[in-house]
Amino acid sequence: MQATEAVKLLLGIGEPLIGRLLTYDALGMRFREVKLRRDPKCPVCGTSPTITDLSIHVNGGGACEITTDSHRERVSDAVGALPKAGG
Amino acid sequence: MKTLKEMLSEARQVVPEEGPEQLQRRLKSGEPVVVIDVRDPDEYRDGHIEAATNISRGFLEFRVGTAVTNPSTPVVLYCQTGLRSVLAAKALKELGYATVINLQGGYQKWVQSGFPVVREVPMTADQIQRYSRHFLLPQVGDRGQRRLLRSKVLLIGAGGLGSPAALYLAAAGVGTLGLMDGDVVDITNLQRQVLHTTAEIGKPKVESGARTIKALNPDVNLIPLPMRLTVDNVMDIIKDYDLIVDGSDNFETRYLVNDACYLAGKTNVHGSIFQFEGMATVFAPNEGPCYRCLYPTPPPAGLVPS
Repeated sequence: MQATEAVKLLLGIGEPLIGRLLTYDALGMRFREVKLRRDPKCPVCGTSPTITDLSIHVNGGGACEITTDSHRERVSDAVGALPKAGG
Repeated sequence: MKTLKEMLSEARQVVPEEGPEQLQRRLKSGEPVVVIDVRDPDEYRDGHIEAATNISRGFLEFRVGTAVTNPSTPVVLYCQTGLRSVLAAKALKELGYATVINLQGGYQKWVQSGFPVVREVPMTADQIQRYSRHFLLPQVGDRGQRRLLRSKVLLIGAGGLGSPAALYLAAAGVGTLGLMDGDVVDITNLQRQVLHTTAEIGKPKVESGARTIKALNPDVNLIPLPMRLTVDNVMDIIKDYDLIVDGSDNFETRYLVNDACYLAGKTNVHGSIFQFEGMATVFAPNEGPCYRCLYPTPPPAGLVPS
């Protein structure tokens, strides 16, 4: 799926998964699509970003230090899933 | 009888001209535009604007319909210096194409302005056969294949997600693949990480991956990056690639990839998986959300098993 998306983006064809999250449940054999919107409060790509360089990543775990729990809950509700760690 | 000079000045009166900067802006804007290189095929092969279709002047009126399906789409024509193309543009106007623009100064000025060009490298007989099924797809074709062969994709992780992505991209003929992973092949990887084989247990994943990829498609220039992605190497590595495929297996890397890709303006094809569930999306800077729009911060340790 990632390879297909990559090829589409390289060729500029079709509709890439920008702003859409595709989830796959192998046991139920179901695909679901969730619309994703940009968050104006996003610390990276929002209107007043707080992360404008990579200094938050110096010393590894620094990326964890901002907390906007209510936001996460809202997104998790919409996505219906916790982020997946595995690669 | 008209002199050439008179013909050119007549054509200039009806054909608007735009310089290289304006054309580049049009191409970047994503608005529909068709660019036609009216030079001869050998001139085109020696170097042309990537977006351009080659229809040499002599065939223009006969073949323009295949390149421009909607006569109201703006058409930009160019030749070497802008003379042949201004006459060609006048002919297209007379055929009823609404907006026909001549690239002022032609290809020469485009090159002098420092804008990118591509050179057509002839495909080998093997390549013509290998990619013949792509040529049959109108959305790919010969031109798309050349574009794939020129493309550079960075795969972060040569594990469960990186393995199939690397295999498919190599098979499709993506010319340069950076494969980044600091781990060695373990027997427990093999039930899902299909890039690696039993004989490679104990060897670095990027070495094992490089052997598999080379065996699959010798066209691929595989760049092994036997290291972890860190805050110190990320910007320097991603700058060389057109696209990043994130198949990492931990949050630290995933947030680092997200933030670095956004800052560098690189599109990130994101995937993640846990047990029987997976998800995929594309984070394109300023076109859509990023990973932090979804999950602003990593989950507390212990909440999500890796």
